[in-house]
Amino acid sequence: MSVTPLDSQLTTIAPLVASVRDLRVHFRSKAGIVHAVDGVDFDVRDGETLGLVGETGCGKSVTARSFLRLVPMPPGIPVSGSILFRPRHACPSCGGSGCSTCSFGGRVAEVCPACGGSGCEICEHTGAETLDLLKISERDLREIRGNRIAMIFQDPGKALNPALSIRSQVAEVFYAHRSEELLAEAGVDVSSASPLLTRRARQQSRTAENALLSLPPFRSHRNAITKAADARVAAALAETQIPNPLAVMDRYPHELSGGMKQRVMIAQALACDPDLLIADEPTTALDVTVQARIIELISELQDRHKTAVVYISHDLSLVRKVADRTAVMYAGRIVEVGDSDQIFHNPEHPYTQGLLAAIPGTHQERGKLAAIEGTVPELIDPEPACRFAGRCPHHAEACWASEPQLLPVGERKVACFIHHPPESGVGPTIEKTA
Amino acid sequence: MSLEATSQPVIKPPSESALRVRLRRTREIAASVLSNPTTLAGLLVITAMVGMALLAPWLVTPNTPDPAQMPRDWGAIAVPPGSPDHPLGTTNVGGDVLYGVIWGARTSLRLSLIVVSVTVAIGVTVGSIAGFRGGRVDEVLMRIVDVFLSIPELIFALAIAAVLGPSFRNIILALAIVFWVKYARIMRAQVIHVKQNEYVDAARVIGDSPWRIYRKDVLPNSITPVIVQATLDMGNIVLVGATLSFIGLAEAGLAEWGVLVSEGQSGISGGRWWASTFPGLMVFLWALAFNLVGDGLRDVLDPRTESR
Amino acid sequence: MQIRDYILRRLLVLPLLIVGVSIIVFALTRIGGSPIGIYLSHEMSSEEVAEIEKRFHLDEPVPVQYFYWVSGVVQGDLGWSGVAAAPVTEVFPNKLAATMELAVASAVVAVSLGIGLGTYAGARRNRMPDHITRIVSISGAAMPLFWFAIVMLIVFWVGLGWFPIGRSRPEIFSSIAHPTGLYTVDAILAGSFTAFRDAVWHLVLPAVTLGYGATAIIARMMRSSLVEELQEDYVDAARAKGLAERLVLRRHARRNALMPTVTVIGLSFGFLLQGTVVAEIIFRWPGLGRWMADSVLRGDQATIMAYVLFTSVLFLFVNLVVDVVYAFLDRRVVLGS
Repeated sequence: MSVTPLDSQLTTIAPLVASVRDLRVHFRSKAGIVHAVDGVDFDVRDGETLGLVGETGCGKSVTARSFLRLVPMPPGIPVSGSILFRPRHACPSCGGSGCSTCSFGGRVAEVCPACGGSGCEICEHTGAETLDLLKISERDLREIRGNRIAMIFQDPGKALNPALSIRSQVAEVFYAHRSEELLAEAGVDVSSASPLLTRRARQQSRTAENALLSLPPFRSHRNAITKAADARVAAALAETQIPNPLAVMDRYPHELSGGMKQRVMIAQALACDPDLLIADEPTTALDVTVQARIIELISELQDRHKTAVVYISHDLSLVRKVADRTAVMYAGRIVEVGDSDQIFHNPEHPYTQGLLAAIPGTHQERGKLAAIEGTVPELIDPEPACRFAGRCPHHAEACWASEPQLLPVGERKVACFIHHPPESGVGPTIEKTA
Repeated sequence: MSLEATSQPVIKPPSESALRVRLRRTREIAASVLSNPTTLAGLLVITAMVGMALLAPWLVTPNTPDPAQMPRDWGAIAVPPGSPDHPLGTTNVGGDVLYGVIWGARTSLRLSLIVVSVTVAIGVTVGSIAGFRGGRVDEVLMRIVDVFLSIPELIFALAIAAVLGPSFRNIILALAIVFWVKYARIMRAQVIHVKQNEYVDAARVIGDSPWRIYRKDVLPNSITPVIVQATLDMGNIVLVGATLSFIGLAEAGLAEWGVLVSEGQSGISGGRWWASTFPGLMVFLWALAFNLVGDGLRDVLDPRTESR
Repeated sequence: MQIRDYILRRLLVLPLLIVGVSIIVFALTRIGGSPIGIYLSHEMSSEEVAEIEKRFHLDEPVPVQYFYWVSGVVQGDLGWSGVAAAPVTEVFPNKLAATMELAVASAVVAVSLGIGLGTYAGARRNRMPDHITRIVSISGAAMPLFWFAIVMLIVFWVGLGWFPIGRSRPEIFSSIAHPTGLYTVDAILAGSFTAFRDAVWHLVLPAVTLGYGATAIIARMMRSSLVEELQEDYVDAARAKGLAERLVLRRHARRNALMPTVTVIGLSFGFLLQGTVVAEIIFRWPGLGRWMADSVLRGDQATIMAYVLFTSVLFLFVNLVVDVVYAFLDRRVVLGS
């Protein structure tokens, strides 16, 4: 592919790889409709790590799963809002290592098919292909899952199938998304290959076909395909610094330690070089010593692949180390978004302030732990009010009347009436109320 | 804020008496059982059938001299259903199918009540002894139970009834011999489980006699799986019993569902379907109803991880 | 190591249980009249009768008699069947083959239908296929086989006339050799399509009927374990990899859901075994079950005893295998935690 002027233009104009706009996900329950995610907005920039922080139950997992439409639809209710995604390919001029054309991101946006790059409604006049993940067909979504957007889960012990070997499971991504390359690596001419083999490379063979494939003329090809897949699996495992990948491939998940399992998950996720990686609390289930290694690993791999990462956690200090920018989530909404260091040094939203104050630090005196008073409100048919009002030390009359919007405050965005006075009513001020 | 000694006593006497608690719990259980529609349906069917059984002498004219025998009307052989005299038709010896259906309920009720009471009594006793005593006694008793359980139920009952001679009473006996072991197993497991609980030790420390401990602590807590099993068996016993009488181990001409189905068999090839179909349907409904209620009870009394 | 101990323990107990069963069987012979009644036939002269009485030591105390009876059994003497008018051991193999054929066919129906139905229902929880499956499951456990079989006959044999009754058309059956005693296999071996078709056509109705109860419990277990597995993280993780839903269901969820279902499959064997007695009566199938039923009615003790012994030993072995298989499968999970 030759470099076109469009490529660099697309990269500079459309640095966003994903954009969540007013996402709402509700659940039907016996008690009523739970508004788990109720108007979430944030952007993910190409190649960055965005931290998504919040306490348990604030809706961050649901948000994460919405990217790949993994939220179970009963009890979930069809969603509103959109999650825009701009798929990319490796920059043709540097092959992914980074150059001026791709602003050292290594990736260049795909051209919008509707306007051919000139800009239109669909691509928001950026010329780059833009998809709404919540609206594309099942088939298109499957193309993206594991391929352009990947996800790693909290407990690797539960996220790996106990009945399949590591080799089997990791190979699945290659069969699903790289079947033609597997065929080529197996020495099969893709254009003239029999459908039996192409289906095998896509892991679509039925029982009868599999029986047929074990017979001599096809057997060698089938084995070559399997070998090609195995080679890729080994390479993927090696990349995550798993010692002795060939031996590990033959093992089953229960035979591996927690750290190893998570490496396998990461290997699997990055196998097809995705544009975006969603990491849902990847280290929560691991021992502290292992945590550090895994975080380092994710960091390294992210640098190498130039993947954007959405890093979800309830652990603030962790997110600070890992994320370039951070979004703070509370009770189904984003309350603050901005540069990580700035947020940690100078939190604007009262909730963020409370969270940071609650972290026990060595500088504090012995005595009470600072906790945020009150509890997370019930999310069933919530009133239109600031959800943090009941626990906020600055709360005022207006806070109970309407919901604050996420609006810019300097380089950040904050959803609080302190910074954006409400239309009516007495707004809160920085001085604490009783 | 520090913990200061308060002047009030920490332990307060329970506000409800033990009996009240038990009554309330029973009512709660009944409520959740009844809230399940399938269980409710089962309960309704059971009520209808038991009602039919108890009211039989008034629903149909009892046969003379023995109401438990099917009446024979040689003037109405193999009449199809629909006639006012014989709404469900007659068998090929003139027996009124409706009579068989209604009186059969009575026979089935008698069968299931006797067998279930006897088996529960024996099984619970044996199981309790095995569980409490432990050691040699337990080993021996459980080996016997295991041997009994090695023989498939129907086949065992079949052999016993065959050896004793064909009669309904022998069917009852055979079923009792075969089915008590289940309760022994259940009860023993429960006793052992409860025995390990601390409040039994506590009772022993206080000086309660073993019998008292058994009655007050062990029995009430072990009884739930027995109740569930007994309910299921009320249905199952009739099922197996009807199978035995179908095969031919009851007296000929008995007003019992299995016997009727067997008698109706010869008419099948000639297209006379009613003499077998209706009584057999009753067996099915009886077993189904008790199964539904038993399952409902089990769901309430012994909740599992089934996430509906 | 746990597994080996477990298997060993079960294997050691097995002979004890078999002995226990034999004692019960022997006790039954004592209750039901003459203990050597099983060996007598009408044709024997009084000298032969006396000889048998001496051989089995009838004048000696009961435990001794038991011993001689057992040694007789071990040497292959199971007595004389009045119903079959031949020694039990002579008639047994053919009837066993007929019953095995029926049992295997029923098992095939039950397992394939049960797993298929359970998977279908589990994947579409609380929708129509699930409700239908639930009705089938519940009715299956409570279904009186003798009634169900008769209804099936009424509908499919008398009413629609689609399927025949019995095991075979006599003229076709006698046209081929029967080396194995299994009609279907013998037909294949003889290369006779007519015979094969005859065999299968006669098998369909009894196999489906007999298999219904087992289908019900297998489907129920399969459905509930599938529902549980579908809630696990690895299923979502598989979807997140971009796998087709079919693959997620079969390769991931169902494979794990099959584990507990395997035990139920083993348990349903007992179901099938007992069902053959009734099914063979109604469908006029010339197997062990019908032989047993006739023997029960005509007081043929030898057959009754042989049948009880045989089915119990079979039952014990199958239960052992099922328990071992499950322990083996479970180990993977146990070791993991």
